[in-house]
Amino acid sequence: MPLLARIRSLRDLLFRKEELEADLDNELKAFVEQITARHVARGMTHEAARRAALLEVGGVEAVKDGVRTARIGNGLETTIGDARYAWRSLWRAPGFAIAATLTLGLGIGATTAIFSLVNALLLEDLPFRDPGRLVLVWNDVTFGGYGRAPLAAAELYDLRQRSTLFEGFGGIWANTTVLTDRDPEQIRMGLVTADFFTLLGAAPALGRVFRPDDDEEGASPTILLSDAVWRRRFDSDASIVGKTIEVDHGLSMVIGVMPAGFRPMLPTDSNVPDDLQAWLPLGAIRSATAPRGQRFLRVIGRMKPGVTLSAAQKEIASIGLQTGREQPFYGPAGLSLYGVGLHADSVRDTRPTLLALFAGVGLLLLAACVNVAGLLVARAAARTRETAVRMALGAGVGRLLRQYAIEGLVLGALGGLAGVLIGRAGLAVLIVLRPSTLGRIDTASIDPTVMAFTAGVALTWGLLLSLAPLAEIRGVTIASPSPANRAPTGSRRVAAGRPYRRRAALVVCQVALSAVLLVGAGLLVRAFLMLVRSDPGFSSAGIVTFRVAQNWMRFDSPEKMIAFTRELRLRLAALPGVTGVGAISHLPYDDGLPNWGTPYLHEGDTNLANAGTADTRSVMPGFFEAIGATLVEGRFFIDADGLSALPVTIVDERLAKRMWPGQSAIGQRLVGDPRTTGLPQQTVTVVGVVRHLRHRRPAIEVREQLYYPFEQAPRNPMAYVVRSDLDIGQLAPLVRQTIASLDPGSPAADIRPLSDYVSSARAARRFAAVLAAGFAGAALLLAAIGVYGVTAYGIALRRRELGVRMALGATGRQIVMLVVGESARLAAAGLAIGLLGAAGAAALMRTQLYGVTMLDPISFGLAITVLAVAVALAAWLPAQHAASTNPLESLRSE
Amino acid sequence: MAKRPAELLKGTLDMLILKTLELEPRHGLGVSDRIAQITRGTFAVKPGSLFPALYRLEQVGFITSTWGATDAGRPAKYYELTSAGRKRLVVEQRNWARIVLAVGQVLEAE
Repeated sequence: MPLLARIRSLRDLLFRKEELEADLDNELKAFVEQITARHVARGMTHEAARRAALLEVGGVEAVKDGVRTARIGNGLETTIGDARYAWRSLWRAPGFAIAATLTLGLGIGATTAIFSLVNALLLEDLPFRDPGRLVLVWNDVTFGGYGRAPLAAAELYDLRQRSTLFEGFGGIWANTTVLTDRDPEQIRMGLVTADFFTLLGAAPALGRVFRPDDDEEGASPTILLSDAVWRRRFDSDASIVGKTIEVDHGLSMVIGVMPAGFRPMLPTDSNVPDDLQAWLPLGAIRSATAPRGQRFLRVIGRMKPGVTLSAAQKEIASIGLQTGREQPFYGPAGLSLYGVGLHADSVRDTRPTLLALFAGVGLLLLAACVNVAGLLVARAAARTRETAVRMALGAGVGRLLRQYAIEGLVLGALGGLAGVLIGRAGLAVLIVLRPSTLGRIDTASIDPTVMAFTAGVALTWGLLLSLAPLAEIRGVTIASPSPANRAPTGSRRVAAGRPYRRRAALVVCQVALSAVLLVGAGLLVRAFLMLVRSDPGFSSAGIVTFRVAQNWMRFDSPEKMIAFTRELRLRLAALPGVTGVGAISHLPYDDGLPNWGTPYLHEGDTNLANAGTADTRSVMPGFFEAIGATLVEGRFFIDADGLSALPVTIVDERLAKRMWPGQSAIGQRLVGDPRTTGLPQQTVTVVGVVRHLRHRRPAIEVREQLYYPFEQAPRNPMAYVVRSDLDIGQLAPLVRQTIASLDPGSPAADIRPLSDYVSSARAARRFAAVLAAGFAGAALLLAAIGVYGVTAYGIALRRRELGVRMALGATGRQIVMLVVGESARLAAAGLAIGLLGAAGAAALMRTQLYGVTMLDPISFGLAITVLAVAVALAAWLPAQHAASTNPLESLRSE
Repeated sequence: MAKRPAELLKGTLDMLILKTLELEPRHGLGVSDRIAQITRGTFAVKPGSLFPALYRLEQVGFITSTWGATDAGRPAKYYELTSAGRKRLVVEQRNWARIVLAVGQVLEAE
């Protein structure tokens, strides 16, 4: 059908309506004339002929109506008319329009920003092929205090051999290595099974990923680079694939480069960070004879198409059970493996935070909408006359409903538009502020899903808000002001008593909502402050850290390595301003290194089922002193705890209490595994007990801790800690010089203050607390505006009464008290409801509260105080104004 | 008119209007007269149906209109078939022939 004709007629309809109507009118007139003429020709008088003609036409207006209905876009025309009307009436009240748009826009914008995070992190699929089929396998060593342990290579082998529901299982283990070709540089790398990337379904940007033959015995060494390293260290060399680079003093061929956005997307407690810089083949894992105590592999599996997660989980569990029964290593404890969906597991830490923020922003949006509803109710009340006139002119209730709905939609659209702009800006800020644990936030954007969500929210709220003034038109009749609206005195001003009550109800809602948000934010902020103030067992003040990867080509024996570290410590200690030097295998909260969990047993106990798993660290003398650890009994490590000295250990209080309750641990012996053989087989003597160091998670004690002296449990690289009164800018060059003077081939990496690690560990909580406080502040402001509005409105309604009171001798103070008292009652009602809601919200947030009880009196008390002050101020301003006006003036204005 | 005008089958009005315009442009009354004439008074199209139909056809581009003068010198709006309208008429006629044939067969079968 000719589209052009339709468009033309639609255009005519929209923009040349008058012409169209005139044309129709002329045509029908001519038609009547023609028939009249015909009748006259047949001998009728002109009068009779005309009457007959009109009769035949059957009502000119009816014909016109028929034509109009036939026109394309008739419904559209009415709608556009309504929209135009809505737009015009908003335009006529710019103050209302701006206030409503901004309020709605702020609410929607904040919601949009938070939703875009929820969308990017929780809703969107992981960026791998068919990611729903990816399963992460954990090893439940709960009996040793380790519910989410990695797997031993032999266990990966078992899974591969026995599974029928999986396409395959691959493993990854993150660690560091050194690129040694020039300017030696430490990098974080992932050691992977050759099938890891193919199972994950991640493609390289250049070259290829690993092939099965890459980890066969005798395969020539290969390396896969990250985009970052390729750009920085290899100047984005497009022909790098096939070239050979020096990795840890050996030659490896570059087989490919991963794309810029690639991340393994494993949960944080897997110690596989998102920012790995290279991947190397793990080497052959083909035997079931690898030590089963060496649990280090993070294992992912890809289910075959059509396999359900629960079937896959059952299979993994049963393989674990079967292996546990067959292998004597496991003893009565057996082997307990379990699978979880990769996506669900990778967001398990961030989900509660995001959902709490989303709920909070939802409340804020609700508060914003309640504010706008208040504005709309006030406006509808002011428009009662207009509505009555429209009804008198024949607008049906349906027509009015439609008009209001369209006004709501126009408002919603404006608010949505403002919301997208505000949301975009908000998201940019969130991305800048993002804590490293929420690093993946940078993938969030206002994408089509977010846009659709925002549009949905805006239009839904627009429609809902259009219902707000409906209550007003319900009472309006053609003869309005109706009896319902007419006060006994018949005064026009007092007539609006109902809208006052409605606005009062809305204010109660606002106060309640902001109370919930204030208490919620108060709890989060308090929990964060408690965390900051809490003592993790060490102090980061004045401490600079860096990792030194020792050049093992040059220091090729334990004695030489030890000599290097001793000399390095001496030289660092001799630097000006340095008051303490030590080193440890793992820095606090540094999840980029595989944490080290080792088994331990009472001396003489050989039953592995009794073994605990302890967080294990290798420590050099001076470390505990430098970070201010608390010695409970015994001593710290000393240089004499050397290679050939008595094997010793320092344990934390928890382990001491578990092993030797009620006794001193000093001099006790346990069987541990300082050299990571996978089995407790080295008897060590406890020489010291320290307060637990909360260096894994800032808020929780993960498990018991064992510390071995470095020289008896060597590690490379080691992280040095230097306590000094120099700032990092002064100290860093000194550190570099010192190391280079010993060996230029042993690079230092990540020269950072220890406080960096500490604050990044708390960053997610700070992020949530700051946002929650922002939401609460905004809600408080909205509530204050609401209270101000309703108070001012109440005063306007009662001006006459107040005038009389003042004329009869009421003091200004009494008037203020009267007015403020009214608003205070509303606020009190809202507060009561809000506090109940807040208690419920606190129960939901329970897991995120550190050091704060659910009904924390300080948070609740503070919320009440802040709200009370805000409400009092918001009510006092208009009241004060009312009390200062001349009573006679207000009487005269009646 | 002895015979009572029959009800117009739904959808046939558009076809009849297009048909009356096949040979020459006509004004509204002309269309209605022509329909009465060719159906020998079987169908009488009332203005209440005629004008909406004309507007509908014009909007979808099957006919166009221009103001002109009648033989008696009165102003009248004349409707003319467009090429799209001509094509449409052919299609409608073919369909109609099929329907007539089919209905005829059903009736004969009884």
